[in-house]
Amino acid sequence: MSEKTKEKMETQVTYAIPEPESFKKLATEAKEVKIEYAIVGKPLPRIDAKDKVTGKLKFIADIKYPDALFGAVLRSPYPHAIIKKIDTSKAEAQPGVVAVVTAKDIPGRNSWGAIIPDQPVVCGDKVRYVGDAVALVAAVDEKTAFKALELIEVEYEELPAVFSPVDALKSSAPKIHETGNLITTSRVIKGDVEKGFSEADIIIERTYTVPFLEHAYLEPDVAIAIPGDDGTITVKGPMQAPFTVRRNVAPVLGLPINRVRCIATPLGGGFGGKEDSPIDTCVRAAVLAWKTGRPVRLEYSREEIMVSTCKRHPMILKVKIGAKKDGTFTALEGEIYNEQGAYASLGPVLPPAGGVHAHAVVMLAGPYEIPNVKVEGYLVYTNHPYGGAMRGFGAPQANFAHECLVDELADILKMDPYELRMKNAFKLGSITATGQVLDQSVGLRETMEETKKIFKWDEKRKSIDGASNKTKGNKRKGYGMAIGWYRTSIGTSADGCGVNLHLMEDGSVIVYQGLVEMGQGMHTGIAQIAAEALGIKLEDVRIVTPDTDSAPESGPTVGSRSLTLMGNAIILASQQIKESLFLSASELLNIPPENLVAKERFIYDRNNPQIRIEVKEAARRCMALGRRLIGQSWYTPPKATLDPQTGQGNPYFVYTYATQMVEVEVDMGTYEVEVKKIAAAFDIGKGINPLLLEGQIEGGIGMGLGYAIMEKVIIDKGMIKNLGLKDYLIPTALDMPEIKSRILEHHNIFGPFGAKGIGEMPNIPTPAAIANAIANAIGTRVYDLPIDSESIWKAVQHKEKQ
Amino acid sequence: MAEKFITFKANGKEVTVAVKPGEMLADVLREKLGLTGTKIGCREGECGVCSVIMDGKLVLSCIIPAMKAHGTSIITIEGLEKNGELHTIQMKFVEKGAIQCGFCTPAMVLAGKVLLDENPKPTRDEIKTAISGILCRCTGYQKIIEAIQSASEEETR
Repeated sequence: MSEKTKEKMETQVTYAIPEPESFKKLATEAKEVKIEYAIVGKPLPRIDAKDKVTGKLKFIADIKYPDALFGAVLRSPYPHAIIKKIDTSKAEAQPGVVAVVTAKDIPGRNSWGAIIPDQPVVCGDKVRYVGDAVALVAAVDEKTAFKALELIEVEYEELPAVFSPVDALKSSAPKIHETGNLITTSRVIKGDVEKGFSEADIIIERTYTVPFLEHAYLEPDVAIAIPGDDGTITVKGPMQAPFTVRRNVAPVLGLPINRVRCIATPLGGGFGGKEDSPIDTCVRAAVLAWKTGRPVRLEYSREEIMVSTCKRHPMILKVKIGAKKDGTFTALEGEIYNEQGAYASLGPVLPPAGGVHAHAVVMLAGPYEIPNVKVEGYLVYTNHPYGGAMRGFGAPQANFAHECLVDELADILKMDPYELRMKNAFKLGSITATGQVLDQSVGLRETMEETKKIFKWDEKRKSIDGASNKTKGNKRKGYGMAIGWYRTSIGTSADGCGVNLHLMEDGSVIVYQGLVEMGQGMHTGIAQIAAEALGIKLEDVRIVTPDTDSAPESGPTVGSRSLTLMGNAIILASQQIKESLFLSASELLNIPPENLVAKERFIYDRNNPQIRIEVKEAARRCMALGRRLIGQSWYTPPKATLDPQTGQGNPYFVYTYATQMVEVEVDMGTYEVEVKKIAAAFDIGKGINPLLLEGQIEGGIGMGLGYAIMEKVIIDKGMIKNLGLKDYLIPTALDMPEIKSRILEHHNIFGPFGAKGIGEMPNIPTPAAIANAIANAIGTRVYDLPIDSESIWKAVQHKEKQ
Repeated sequence: MAEKFITFKANGKEVTVAVKPGEMLADVLREKLGLTGTKIGCREGECGVCSVIMDGKLVLSCIIPAMKAHGTSIITIEGLEKNGELHTIQMKFVEKGAIQCGFCTPAMVLAGKVLLDENPKPTRDEIKTAISGILCRCTGYQKIIEAIQSASEEETR
């Protein structure tokens, strides 16, 4: 480590730990002593498994609301148009129609949005994409509601529309919002790229494009809004961010926030999409319920979800890299045209480093030590559907670009792409493109070594390198890899996460918190942490359905933050309860409290474990003596920083690292790709539940495979062409290869028991790893996702012509 | 259009319900019989989460007119538990971590059952084919395949 690095580390380390002493101690203890945990680290089945496997678990669509009216949304058929006139009289006269709502009927703010409220609840003056809401209807049944939509007469005047971020930045482009088409420019500037490129022996520059993707969560969006007798309104439905929904419903209805209650019912998948779409359904259902005074159910069909809700941001990424002959990177320069679509959603910068755009810009230099970096990214409105959060949040786009570029550089340098990566990859003490010193929990190189071993990389690559790719029939094999990094938490200045724990006198506990279970296993993970931290059993823990009326603000269930932040909050809250428990236990056992430990329903003397009492006995004594059995805490991770001008700072407090290697077979007759094998290793700090971790890994890889070779929302003049799951293809069981994965644990001092996030990491390196394997097979490259038969055919044709 | 009474066996119990032409089996199961373990994800027979067993075959209940169920025997996820005990396939789904959000789980379990009833010792590829009509966006299918494989080993042991 250079002197300069060391100096930098010291200055940054001192600032990085605003931890309560007790928590820090626990983290260090775990690192040094290798504590045998009773519940944490065990591959336990999910706590909701039985309810799900028997079909007993109720998603909101499974619950009847007999009094509820049906809501429906009239949508714009034009990508950009002025609403000249709207006549709802015929619809209102229709028997069974209870309310028709247009822009003038919105009680409060007529807009919503996760970061900037720029999306009308109901458009009044103009529409900005096909699917924009023009009117809302509430009727006694579905048929009447849809009939009423047909009876609403809208006169539009079409405006010129713009469908690419590059075109939208031209001065002649139609202005989509009053504020202009450029939402924000984000940058990262480190060192001097001119100097860096002048020191390079080789420079290559490429442009990559990635399309809009649909989340394709299987449970459609539904919201039920129920007006209360007491001037409150309750909104229920699948939602990743109940507090964000509440923050939007209140101003739309013109209510104080404390009169809005959001309940996050079990989610049938979210993947980031249900951070945004529930704001849409909930504000609209709430407006209809408020107007009619009756419960309203608003459910979107599959087609409506695809037309109207957010997608993964498409991007054009121009990247240039310079390297010495030996492979040492000297400079990287990048430019990102990030298409936001019609509305801001989760695209814009939420200072300092929140939002998809800032994240993509920060991630573009990859997990590499590069002394000189300059990345500039433009986030731009167009008249397309809009980009929102989707698993990886800007990182998969950036990863595809840097990992394909580095791979091609290795080809040109005639180096093993593994060796080229290893030469430059982050290690402990590395400085990122934003100047952040990675001073703990950096297991990237170890994931590379591990994956190489289980994949048998050397053997496999040797079978192809040097000689022409031997064909077996018409099929060619190819092997490729990619590495990646991903943050834990969202990079806003205060990503707080609250919890209330109530211990009962029988030793069972209720957890009131607001992060949701969408399949990822988060509720099982935090139940394990609560059981371990309190010294009880998993079955003693009950996680209450997230309800903003009882849960403290916990932030959104996004950004691979949930288990880490909520886990910490739970540990802190448990310590408050344990103070009472240990005081009571010490009186009963006649042992000083500091000598006590709690584990699996017993409190022990740590020096003499046969001296023990049950947790419930101590809890009963606490209850009898009026001692506190409620733990309440609010965990805030180390503060994020990122200078808006230079993009220098510590945008995220810890990162997860991964390596993936892929074997493909390309049919040179049909140009079809079959992904045969994937090996992967992840440094996730500490595996709280290895079984669920594997599930996240395999599922993420599946999603990445879809991105790589099959998925794309096809849009023509603003209109989506492949609506529905028969035209928008996602991987089936037949598309999935065998996956071998390994979990490595490089302790995170800021994580509960050392953990860091996993949810989004797995799908990030997959597209590039597959793309690189395809390039290895066919001897040429495709720069645009998805890499389908047609694009491979074109690339091969192009190569043959040369 | 006139409602018509149809009779079929739902999880072994004979039921008679009034249905309209055009009413789909999934809606009858969910709305009239309260069997909400059968999910609806697309209403066009593409996602497969509405799959139920009709006379031993896996069918897409969201595109099967309810009238067609007359005289048949239907098994839904609610029909798999016997005396409060999970079916082997269900047990394996729990143990192997084959469940995430749970929205496709009932359909996947039923697909596994149909397969193992016909072919007690399927290969990995046969399992993949058997579940390929049902989409899962969470799991990447690996653990679902493992769970069915493991159930087949248990059953034939």
